[in-house]
Amino acid sequence: MNRAGHEVVVAGVGYSPITRGGSPDIRTLTLGACHDALDDAGLTAGDIDGIFEYSFGGAAADSPIAISAQRLLGIENLTAYNDIMGTGPSGLAGAMDAAMAVGAGACETALVYRTITRNAGHSGAVRQTAPRAGGAMQFTAPYGYGGGIILAMAMKKRRRVAELGGSFDDYGHIALNARAWATKNPNAMFREPITLDDYYGSRVIADPLLILDCDYPVNASCAAILTTAERARDLRRPAVVVDALAYGTGARPDWLYADDFLFGGTIPCSRELWRRSSVTAADVDVAELYDGFTHITISWLEALGFCGVGEFHDWVDGGRRIAPGGDLPLNTYGGQLAAGRMHGLAFLNEAVLQVRGDCGDRQVPDARVAVVANAHGPQCGAMVVRAADG
Amino acid sequence: MNPAGAKPAPAADGITAFYWHGAEQQQLLVLRCTACKLLSHPPDAACAWCGSLELAPEPVSGHGSVYSFTIVRQAFDESFANDVPYVIALVELDEQAGLVVLANLIDVPVSEIDIGARVEVTFEDRGDHTLPQFRLADSAPVSQ
Repeated sequence: MNRAGHEVVVAGVGYSPITRGGSPDIRTLTLGACHDALDDAGLTAGDIDGIFEYSFGGAAADSPIAISAQRLLGIENLTAYNDIMGTGPSGLAGAMDAAMAVGAGACETALVYRTITRNAGHSGAVRQTAPRAGGAMQFTAPYGYGGGIILAMAMKKRRRVAELGGSFDDYGHIALNARAWATKNPNAMFREPITLDDYYGSRVIADPLLILDCDYPVNASCAAILTTAERARDLRRPAVVVDALAYGTGARPDWLYADDFLFGGTIPCSRELWRRSSVTAADVDVAELYDGFTHITISWLEALGFCGVGEFHDWVDGGRRIAPGGDLPLNTYGGQLAAGRMHGLAFLNEAVLQVRGDCGDRQVPDARVAVVANAHGPQCGAMVVRAADG
Repeated sequence: MNPAGAKPAPAADGITAFYWHGAEQQQLLVLRCTACKLLSHPPDAACAWCGSLELAPEPVSGHGSVYSFTIVRQAFDESFANDVPYVIALVELDEQAGLVVLANLIDVPVSEIDIGARVEVTFEDRGDHTLPQFRLADSAPVSQ
């Protein structure tokens, strides 16, 4: 992204340990990921002058605020920072803000993180709603509409197949694909392949939504370092260029009442992304597309133009198109369905690792261009990253 | 906290109060913009189509079609634990394409629901408040 001034690159990525059990402290998780990303880049905390984090906020056990991380890392001052709330494009939102700040010169080297725990990320848990529901919830909570966007996703799944054709197998292929790639990722949570029978046999949450349509909550933190191409020139690992980014909300944005119930903002977001990018969908070697719910991934594949709207069923070719060895390797680390719900930023980190050629058994040969997309509904965001020229 | 078993009640505000008062009177009311004439739901401080602040509630027929629905098998709120499985639907009202209202489909076997099914509004008395709900109907769509 160089239109604002500086060309922006991702100089390093990092992860905390990823666990299913226990109650790790969010500060410990965050420091683990941030130090890992700094080490990857060959930088120290003293080089950081911007921090951008995404969190649900409130009482949720997730990302510490930016100045908390600053204090924990011993950084003397920040020239740019932001705490992004849960209405943005998931963990990618921090990287998008960081890219804009670095591009504009508001800071030179920005740290981005998304920390999440099972406790904060388990939106299917039974809760006791307040006795009176105000705001938008007054039109949903009295009807037993809870669990965040789970029930919206169930209704989108049913509507998509009724309106655009295909079948629920299409959703199953996204779930199967995540496991197929996860067999090659030693850090993934679920590394056993599954079949369509396994998919259909999984627990029904809200018919037609199955538990295997939903990602898996974990305790984890994910971090990335963004800086200018000039600054990255002598760093440890090859810099990966942020070629383009775009947000998208769609008209009358809402998870339930938007003009485009099935796609949300994915279509306008994708249109703007390609308008700004130096490459096209045909140039993409790897796609890392949000899979908090299987519906989201199918939406992005069609919105980004890998196939036409409603064509996923034929295009995916029984899953072969997106599987290891397929034309469009998708969610090569296992995504959130199989690697765990790191809430968005891990899609960027995986794209960076693929473009650098650092993915070991799951490496896509000669990957030079990757597209990353996060979230759905009214809060879409996407990014193209690529190898540096020459 | 909720008394045991009590479902969340809508907390009406200055913009939404008409909607819940209407429900108490067995009327489904939707805001119509006096400038662009389009209907908007849920009620908001301005027209979602043109931004006009001049909005007025008006009764709608209460007839519509199921736009989509889900059969909830797992309660997300304790107060609905005894209701599963229950149906949440988006009902597209006959008055305007794309105008949807979220509600439960009640008094219907889940096997008889499908996208496009004709429904009509009904009202559920929950003691200190009334909820618009929908049930299957035989009505044909009214002309728009």
